[in-house]
Amino acid sequence: MKSFLLSFCLIISNLLFSQSQISGKVVDEKGVSITGANVYLQGTYDGSTTNENGEFSFRTNEIGTQTLIVSYVSYETYTMVSQITLMKDLTVKLREDVNTLDAVVLSAGTFQAGDNSKVNVLKPLDVVTTASALGDFVGALQTLPGTTTVAEDGRLFVRGGEAEETQIFIDGIRVFTPYTPTTNNSPTRGRYSPFLFDGITFSTGGYSAEYGQALSSVLLLNTINEPDQDKTDIGIMSLGASLGNTQKWSNSSLSANASYINLAPYNEIFPSRNNWIKPYETFSGEAVYRNKFNSGLLKLYTAFDATNFELTQEDINLPEGVHFKLNNNNLYFNGSYQGDLNNTWDVFAGLSYTLGNNDLKITDMLINDRETAVHAKLKFKKRFNNRLKLNFGTEYLALHFEEKFSDLNPGTEIYGYNDNITAAFVEADIFLSKEIAFKPGLRLEYSELFKTVDLAPRLSIAYKTSKTSQLSLAYGNFYQNPNSNILKFTQDLRPQNTLHYILNYQYNADRKIFRTEVYYKEYKHLVKYDTEFAQFDSNFNSNGFGFAKGIDFFWRDSNSIKNIDYWISYSILDTKRDYNNYPYEAQPNFANTHNISLVGKYWINDWRSQLGFSYTFASGRTYTNPNTTGFLNEKTKPYNSLSVNWAYLISPQKILYASVNNVLGFKNINGYQYANSPNADGFFDRRTLQPAADQFFFVGFFWTISEDKKSNQLDKL
Amino acid sequence: MQKLVIILIAFITSIISAQSNYEIGMQKAFELWGSNNPIEASNMFERIANAEPDNWLPAYYAAQVNIVNSFSLKDEKLLTAQLKNAQNLINDATAISKNNPEILVLQALLYTAWVAYDGATYGMTMSPKVEAIYAQAEQIAPENPRVVYCKAEWGIGGAKYFGQDTKPFCKDLERSLELFANFKPESPFHPNWGKERVLMLLESCKE
Repeated sequence: MKSFLLSFCLIISNLLFSQSQISGKVVDEKGVSITGANVYLQGTYDGSTTNENGEFSFRTNEIGTQTLIVSYVSYETYTMVSQITLMKDLTVKLREDVNTLDAVVLSAGTFQAGDNSKVNVLKPLDVVTTASALGDFVGALQTLPGTTTVAEDGRLFVRGGEAEETQIFIDGIRVFTPYTPTTNNSPTRGRYSPFLFDGITFSTGGYSAEYGQALSSVLLLNTINEPDQDKTDIGIMSLGASLGNTQKWSNSSLSANASYINLAPYNEIFPSRNNWIKPYETFSGEAVYRNKFNSGLLKLYTAFDATNFELTQEDINLPEGVHFKLNNNNLYFNGSYQGDLNNTWDVFAGLSYTLGNNDLKITDMLINDRETAVHAKLKFKKRFNNRLKLNFGTEYLALHFEEKFSDLNPGTEIYGYNDNITAAFVEADIFLSKEIAFKPGLRLEYSELFKTVDLAPRLSIAYKTSKTSQLSLAYGNFYQNPNSNILKFTQDLRPQNTLHYILNYQYNADRKIFRTEVYYKEYKHLVKYDTEFAQFDSNFNSNGFGFAKGIDFFWRDSNSIKNIDYWISYSILDTKRDYNNYPYEAQPNFANTHNISLVGKYWINDWRSQLGFSYTFASGRTYTNPNTTGFLNEKTKPYNSLSVNWAYLISPQKILYASVNNVLGFKNINGYQYANSPNADGFFDRRTLQPAADQFFFVGFFWTISEDKKSNQLDKL
Repeated sequence: MQKLVIILIAFITSIISAQSNYEIGMQKAFELWGSNNPIEASNMFERIANAEPDNWLPAYYAAQVNIVNSFSLKDEKLLTAQLKNAQNLINDATAISKNNPEILVLQALLYTAWVAYDGATYGMTMSPKVEAIYAQAEQIAPENPRVVYCKAEWGIGGAKYFGQDTKPFCKDLERSLELFANFKPESPFHPNWGKERVLMLLESCKE
């Protein structure tokens, strides 16, 4: 009996303590062992770390069916549900996580700026510390390859495309009037203050099927999701003043910002080539409200600005000059909601409303332009797993344009049109491995105006050639309706079209980036007319065409020289088109052959200062000389500009900032205006088109008041 | 029968005297960390976190091991992966214990790791976040020695960068030393680190 009891007890305690051995080996996809992986039974204390041979072994008291988990940084977590007894001599193959920093990136055509992307060509601060940019994000992007310097315009001209071929989006929703109005000899600026954005994606071609109505390029701006703290920003500048305030609550925040610019005092000190009657004056205000929900984020953004100026400008045909007066009001609202529906489904819904009103007086002509536009978008994202994601959605763009025109003749002419577009898109993100990724997409657009349906396929592929380099390819078909200058006179046309082919090589290591891109772009269905300017009695057709091809180079090094950060861009462009009033195919005057940008920044710790410079070279632009035969047959001399800036931190919250554009005072020429009729010698006289001022000086003092006494407005400059 | 009694007693005492799995696990993990095995220590903490879904401490320590470790990293890929892992663990801990000053301090340290890695790139974007977190932690727990000392150490870093006086922060460090003396952790495993670091920092204050 004794012995029976004893053995019974032993059996019981044996049962209680009966342990199983779990063992095996962890390897990667190539069979190389992984050291340091965490292996354990879910919900228990039983587990181990793999040794230098990738082997693990541990004992457990658990019985029956259990879940074995194997996890390691930068790899997808492996899960195995099985009988404990079967967990012996396992070989666990971990798949690489494609969401890591060293995974391949679909990069053809795309530049990223901000913290949120894997390969940042620009850092968040660059947008505002680039010497030539004057705090304008568009100005900073013009130092990237693929852009063309059109000094008197200031908008983004990308790869032989017109400025209208680049569309700007805030939080995925279109901005219809992104630029402030300006005189025809000084560059415009982006309307929206850069400090509201924390991520910028600039695509010079081959972009996602989500974006349409852009022939050449898209610029995607994302507003900040959550500000860090309550603060007040005060800025006093040589041109005006600005005031901003941010309030933060537990789930929501509000940022408001107002600025006033008046060029009258500046023009007194530094006279320009313009004869001002009422110098440039603009008031602008912006506000963003954000509210976080359990599984989503609502953002409401609104901006208003009002600009006016009046001046007389020289003209070769009018000895008394051209009298020009402008009053512009612009209201923009953008609301978006982004949220999770569940673990694998995301939803995005957004809406924007634009109201732009322009009152122009040009000599005896009175023009009133009114543009109202709505953009609505609904988008879903389904994540099947780490390697397969599907995006699809639909959008509606409605644009109403009306122009009232009157001159010395009695009566008022009214032009106008409605341009409504419905589109749907679907796109997949497919990672075959950390080395190969695909992004096929399809976009369908219906234009109510032209009653046309167009199908635009897109594809990009990226292949990692080594740890630090990769090759990408992109192809895309893009449609865009003509702009209001054309559509106000005729609606009997069809959407313009481009095809992009892009090959990109990128090297990225040790905070050094090199990238080069070869591209070919084909234009079809551009608008043509038979008069000098598009006007009510022109004959229009959609038979214009053209091409653009070129190579872009970019090199940035933030590492090799201490405290120095610099980048170089070089673009070579070959483009011709036959559109508008062109008699035959020619290189347009906004597209030159060579563009070089060199930007440098030097941080001097002892002076608490950042010194910066930026140099731009642009080869000559075409113009037509009526004294010779031909069209756009001559070129201006090249454009040169060297800009310097200095930011001095008086204290962590007070900054003094100064910059000079074109410090060496190059006399740049934008083009020539020829007389309408020849002089007594039978020769056409000309006038040189020069910038309003060769140089530009800026001084500002910026003061931030916040509880922590640390933050400042450096990111605003 | 005697044997049986002995066996039974031995069996029962072994069960009674045995520490809980949690205690054994935590002790083991701290030992691993102490003997310079950060990977195994963090794995161990992660396993305990997995087995104790209502306890924020193991996830907290797993995150701390990763963050402390990352300050010495120079490889951006590794740093990103490790801090991403740490952020997930902090999120786990925060889900269990909200508005916890200890976890807030850890979150601030995570951002500080980015600033320490590349001040030019991350300083401007991360600094306000760090400031805001310390302000929040101070509001919740003004007497927590780690809140006071970590905030002071961050302040010293900033003051040095801007060439300003670091003396005011030394006063805070001294105050944190008093707070350390009076600090009673809720359990043997609750955070109680930092005093040695304060003594070290105070040394440099004297210079």
